[in-house]
Amino acid sequence: MVLLFSPFFLGVITRVKAFFGGRVGPSVFQPYFDLAKLFQKKCVYSHTTTWIFRAAPIVVFASVLAVSLMIPFGAFKAPVRFSGDIFLVAYLFGLARFFMIVAALDTGSSFEGMGASREAFFSCLSELTIFMNFVTLVLVAHQISLSGMIGAEIPLSWKLMGPTLLLVVSSFFIVILAENCRIPVDDPSTHLELTMIHEVMILDHSGVDLAYMLYGAAAKLFLFGGILVPILLPIHTGHGLMDTLIFVVGMLGIAIFIGLVESGMARLRLNRVTNLLLIAFALAFFGFIVRLWRG
Amino acid sequence: MEKIIQFPWHVPFGEFTLKLDPLSLIFLTAIIILTLCAGIYGVGYMRSYQGARSLKAHAFFFLLLAVAIGLVVTANNVILFLCAWELMSIATYFLIVFHDEKPSVRRAGFLYLIATHCGTFCLFLMFFLMARTAGSMDFTVMAHTTFSPALAGIIFFLAIIGSGVKAGFLPMHIWLPHAHPAAPSHVSAFLSGVTIKIGIYGICRVLWIMGIFPNWCGYVLLTIGIVSGVMGVLYALGQHEIKRLLAYHSIENIGIIALGLGVGLLGRSYHQPFIAALGFAGALLHVINHAIFKGLLFLGAGAVIQKMHTGEIDKLGGVAKIMPLTSTLFLVGALSICGLPLFNGFISEFMIYFGLFQGVLALPLQGVVFFVLGILSLALIGALALACFTKVYGIVFLGNPRSSIETKGTEEVSAWMMAPMFLLAGLCIWIGLMPAVMARLTFMGGNFLAHMEPSAFYLGKILNPLSIINGTAFVLLALIIMLVFVRRWLLGKEPMPTSETWSCGFTQLSSKLQYTSSSFARPIVQYFRNTLLFRRYGGEVSGEFPQKAQMSSHVHDASEDYLFRPVFTRLRNLSKRIDEKSIRYTQIYLIYIFVFLIFLLVWKMRG
Repeated sequence: MVLLFSPFFLGVITRVKAFFGGRVGPSVFQPYFDLAKLFQKKCVYSHTTTWIFRAAPIVVFASVLAVSLMIPFGAFKAPVRFSGDIFLVAYLFGLARFFMIVAALDTGSSFEGMGASREAFFSCLSELTIFMNFVTLVLVAHQISLSGMIGAEIPLSWKLMGPTLLLVVSSFFIVILAENCRIPVDDPSTHLELTMIHEVMILDHSGVDLAYMLYGAAAKLFLFGGILVPILLPIHTGHGLMDTLIFVVGMLGIAIFIGLVESGMARLRLNRVTNLLLIAFALAFFGFIVRLWRG
Repeated sequence: MEKIIQFPWHVPFGEFTLKLDPLSLIFLTAIIILTLCAGIYGVGYMRSYQGARSLKAHAFFFLLLAVAIGLVVTANNVILFLCAWELMSIATYFLIVFHDEKPSVRRAGFLYLIATHCGTFCLFLMFFLMARTAGSMDFTVMAHTTFSPALAGIIFFLAIIGSGVKAGFLPMHIWLPHAHPAAPSHVSAFLSGVTIKIGIYGICRVLWIMGIFPNWCGYVLLTIGIVSGVMGVLYALGQHEIKRLLAYHSIENIGIIALGLGVGLLGRSYHQPFIAALGFAGALLHVINHAIFKGLLFLGAGAVIQKMHTGEIDKLGGVAKIMPLTSTLFLVGALSICGLPLFNGFISEFMIYFGLFQGVLALPLQGVVFFVLGILSLALIGALALACFTKVYGIVFLGNPRSSIETKGTEEVSAWMMAPMFLLAGLCIWIGLMPAVMARLTFMGGNFLAHMEPSAFYLGKILNPLSIINGTAFVLLALIIMLVFVRRWLLGKEPMPTSETWSCGFTQLSSKLQYTSSSFARPIVQYFRNTLLFRRYGGEVSGEFPQKAQMSSHVHDASEDYLFRPVFTRLRNLSKRIDEKSIRYTQIYLIYIFVFLIFLLVWKMRG
């Protein structure tokens, strides 16, 4: 499911951006073609690199795929769900990040060092926000598992704790933008190395390795969307096909919305990104306070 | 499962009673593992000093330290405990000052000696207060005594200060970043892995003996954990020397352990046995885990320093090509200390997180607020530790060498030094992939500290998620292997072309252009500059044709520079003034002692 749909998600965002830029834009299936092209290419390695550089794309992709086991998609229940899986989700992304940063440093290039350093910093703040949101959701749902938190109880929660969930959703949306390096935090489409975070870290990867990295990034975006959609569209018809359809519509909505945000905003100056992330944290924190106040 | 051994011992109030209970068992596990590994490593490491200095004394003190620590964790009597504690402190001092020709090492050793004795003083006071109420010096008897809440509060404070100095809680940590880098690497590994844990043991023992503490004690412990954890890792980020950085990371991990103990204590105060057991068990598992991975990291750092002759991170680089095995083992340690899945750090952090989240659901309001703070700080610590260890690993082992190093191809350290590292790395992965054995053991310790009967229900509640994590870890491994095969299938067998790193068209690359550890950590350190007292010196370039400029940046330790230094300077000035004014002759000293003795006599007779 993730493998199948995540590039499509990316394609939709690009298409929306193109539409608002007054262009036709590439087909929504363009990311598939890009990946297919990369999978056929050979890799080029720098003399400086060690096995870490070759292992990193594999670990990054594998850990993102492992996370996908813990997130439900529409009628498809998450295959792995247990009390406490949220920590595993957060730390598997951490594992991916560790290898991404280390691989960037492996090239010995100052550009990639720069990207790595920024990634390490911004992720500290977004990690904080993610956990704050998790706490609020746990308090709302009284369950410590991701499937439980964004599961069946959500419609009731919207009635009782609407404001809390609204705050959670908005702060989580900023985290999605930051963690997946979208505008206003990072620009996935420029190649001006000095301003970038994610793109600059994978500057030296090529061929299959680059395909793994990009696929992993697309899947990560998809997974974050997959956490947000069930909270936003808490409709359970009980009919498998309908539920999945609703999920897909929700994902499309998010993709379009991300596209809108990207078209409507400029990239923030790097030293202002921290403010944006702190806003996300503040929103999450207010959500928590509202939850406590409502009892 | 307790075992008591008694020997005759003719010391007033003292009894040579050793007791093995779950708590001592857990600490003994860590001690035995690390004594073995650091000892074997030391044989190889000290080879280079053969003939130059007396290694026998060093070996003697190392073994003495191991025995003393073993005694500390098994002693069941106050006098025996304190004797072993002093023996341990003194043996540690002699191990730290191995390189006593360097003034900085002598200074570090002396600082340690002062700090540890200040701590021991508090422990003396604490144990005598306890013994007075209990009417016995025996721990088991003490455990059956009830203490008044006020007394419990005082004892708690004395325990936190007395054991906290040893453990390195902020702000009593100042000796630690001096002493640990000063010692030879295997001693640093032992100090960081085991000796500072004895401070934690002291607190655990008091927690067990006292049974009931006022509620605020748990909050204090939790707060200490949060502050030590976050500040420890932030200070670590600002360090430029690898062993000093690792020493600050010990403070961070001690913070995590204290956080776990705080969770346990609060769970116990609010009568939530599951939370109590989880918090204590998580903390105890982290004690073992930290001993293993920090030992591994210090041993790895020692190997690098021995071969590269420097521990300055910004002068190293590309070590992975010279020492591939050491670098891989160091990577295992780095991944473990960041608490990432597949490795042991994750298991203990998972247990503490789990306890914290259970607490958020079950505790009254103020408990919820503190537990949420705990969750947030644990998340922040995790992310910062990741930043810190990607920095260490990326800058030291990867990239190009930053200063000219003469090497002939690969050059690993001797088998004596390699074997312990392999053992420790193996343990990291073993606990990470098959946590059940250690989780059971530490959960038993958690039950013991929580004063509850072992319950299969609670054990199942934690073992069940752990076994699923276990399964997911294997799925992850399977995915990795699958992707490796896909990659191999797509790329074919022929070797890939290699070329220079792409530098966006710039061709005059030199290794000096690489990111350094200072520049890597700068965004974070800069962001926290007011907390960390991050200062830059120089670095301004002026004029149309700028001349050479120099820039250095440094993170100051606030509690050292602004808390202890002024206080001790005042104290020294005061004593100097007394010294100059009145005391010139030895006879006057004797009179002072005599007067004090008379005072004591009168006081005793009055009572």
